Amino acid sequence: MNALLLTLAITTTVGSLLAFQPAAAQVLPPAKKAERVEITKGPELESATNHLTIIRWTTNNPGGSDVHYGIVHYGTDPKDLSQTAKNPIRLNQGHSHTTFRVRVYDLKPQTTYYYRVTSEESNGRSDGVKSTVRQFTTPAPGEIIVGARP
Amino acid sequence: MRRGRWILGAATCAMVLAVLIGFHAGSAQDGKGKKPPATPTVYSPYPSGILPADLESEIERVRREVNFIFQQALADWRALPPPNLTGQPPKLQGSGYDMVQTLGKLMNFDENISVFKNQACASCHMPYAGFSGPIPSVNLTMVAFPGSFHFRAGKRTAQRYTYSPWFPVLQFNETQALFFGGNFWDSRATGYLLQNPDAEQAQGPPVDTQEMGSPDTACIAFKLSQAEYRPLFEQVWGKGALDIKFPHDTEKICGTPGGAAVFGTDTMPVKLSPGDRTKANRVYDNWAQSLDAFEKSKEVSPFTSKFDAVLKSLVSLTPDEMAGYNLFRGKANCNSCHTDGRGTTLTPGQTDNSNVAVFNPLFTCFGSANEGLPLNPRNAFYYQTTPDFFGFTANPFGFAYRDLGMGTFLRSGFGSWPNPNAEWIPLAPTADGTFQVATARNVAMTPTCPPGSPPGCVACPTTEAPGPYFQKGFFHNGYIKSLKQLVHFYNTRDDPRFAFPVTSGHCPPGTVERVTCWPMPEVRNNIDMTTGQLGLTDHEEDLIVIFLQTLTDGYTKPYPNRNTFTGQCMVGGTAATQGNDSIIPTPPLPQCASAICGVAPFPTMPIP
Repeated sequence: MNALLLTLAITTTVGSLLAFQPAAAQVLPPAKKAERVEITKGPELESATNHLTIIRWTTNNPGGSDVHYGIVHYGTDPKDLSQTAKNPIRLNQGHSHTTFRVRVYDLKPQTTYYYRVTSEESNGRSDGVKSTVRQFTTPAPGEIIVGARP
Repeated sequence: MRRGRWILGAATCAMVLAVLIGFHAGSAQDGKGKKPPATPTVYSPYPSGILPADLESEIERVRREVNFIFQQALADWRALPPPNLTGQPPKLQGSGYDMVQTLGKLMNFDENISVFKNQACASCHMPYAGFSGPIPSVNLTMVAFPGSFHFRAGKRTAQRYTYSPWFPVLQFNETQALFFGGNFWDSRATGYLLQNPDAEQAQGPPVDTQEMGSPDTACIAFKLSQAEYRPLFEQVWGKGALDIKFPHDTEKICGTPGGAAVFGTDTMPVKLSPGDRTKANRVYDNWAQSLDAFEKSKEVSPFTSKFDAVLKSLVSLTPDEMAGYNLFRGKANCNSCHTDGRGTTLTPGQTDNSNVAVFNPLFTCFGSANEGLPLNPRNAFYYQTTPDFFGFTANPFGFAYRDLGMGTFLRSGFGSWPNPNAEWIPLAPTADGTFQVATARNVAMTPTCPPGSPPGCVACPTTEAPGPYFQKGFFHNGYIKSLKQLVHFYNTRDDPRFAFPVTSGHCPPGTVERVTCWPMPEVRNNIDMTTGQLGLTDHEEDLIVIFLQTLTDGYTKPYPNRNTFTGQCMVGGTAATQGNDSIIPTPPLPQCASAICGVAPFPTMPIP
């Protein structure tokens, strides 16, 4: 209950600070870029079916542009991660951590894939983070793999 | 369980009824008493069940409501004080705001603007729905609203007006390397000329072939010159503003819908002198600016929600509402894009420590995203593949059409507007499948009937079954039918137990579409992965819905004309399965038409 009251107090304080200027709508400026971005969880398999595989990992909030791209370099040879999948996510400037998730389509069933993940701002500027090479094996036809959850 | 009675079937009855009622194209006469052309036959390329059975009666119901508010606007105008144009530069001292907003209101509810004088802007945007689609059965089924020529129809849901004037001119922000702003789902109303995307949005529907249908923007000037409220227009925009010498055939031209074969590729069939064309263009700009003024007024965008009252310390959120809010900005991460005006607060490990972002809690980031919605086969657009009476075919591609949203706009592609900035063309592949992030404000608005409401007022307290509820259609293609489903979609779209490589209507046995089965995305490029696997419980989904309901205007003051709904609420069922009775099987999808998916710069991944 105390947490609720505190939240309400913060909310009302914010409200008064906003001073409610309807004409003051503007695009939120980007957050300050983090000095160092580190993976704090993963990368790991979130899920895999015959049509879609999702890789996820979490970093400290990298800051910078609101939209970031999670990138997965992958292949069946750990020395040849020449295929790439990427998806956008939108940073939450109020959150301390950011979870990246990337969709990888049309993988072969029952096949081991190797991958490495990176991320970048929407302008292509790297977050300077790169994972080690990981691996997963896709399921047999008709099967699904339920992996890491939020 | 009354909801089934109007859902599917009996569309044939609607067609028969439409033909019996006849199509009144009297405005297509030339005004000289000549014999009118042959009465246009109703356009009905739709298979049985695509159009709702009550479509005709619902259109007539909305017409009555629109005219009620139009009369109200006339009274508003007549109650205005005499104009006092004074100063240098001259201004309407004291009453300028009221005058231009009232003018915009009159325009918004004026049916005469449309090609057959039977459809106002408001016909698809009524106050009780947050100025979005007013016909529950249309929201449930055909998605886009029928236009002035029955039954041409567009391809997307009617967006809410509320707070649309706050979207900035479409820009590619170099710092963020992102697009922000614009109006319309695909941001095609950039605002580049008027420096106001909301105003430029208002210039679309009057000349949209499937909406109000005028063949020439000069027709709007022509109709305003005949409007009862012409004196107000001239008081606001200048005496003589409408003094345009229209040719004798203007009435006939402006009574023939855009896209008619008779016009060929001529977008200016009303032949005006260069000077009069310039005046007509200025009138059309003034039309747009007046509507923008109305949409920005406290009659449309008043900031009177409970959330606003909380910000002013007038009330507190209930525990459930607060729990929903905390999920909204926490675990569910909704406010990463439906920004709530909160600044970054310091939390352990955080890198930025600013206090309060000085911007409005508009619950949108003004951006665009591809949320991975499945193709909605109920969309009437897919079926308009044959020429209508006037020789116009809305969608020659049928189910080979794919809605690439902003990507198609940036390519100046089919069904959008010309992109006025060539620098943006190469960015199209990064925008394929993306649609504007709507404000979450008023997403839950439904009709109410407070004391003093007009006779016949019907209140539908919620958008959610079992109701009584007002059926809405969410997202650009109306695939989602309740806020519960909306949150559930964000929560479980990527759950491998629920995500199937099927199209709508083909979920595997043992699953329930929209509950335990999500068909594949229509466009798999650029899918936003901020959400899709949130790990919310069923109860947490409900709490977010409860919070969303605090964003509805009308809490601190009654929302004007929210009490004008005279239709019927729906009842029965559950919010989770709301509208599932109306699901139809998607036909086998042909390859995406090359005129859409084969236009350079090509999509990053081929679009099936």
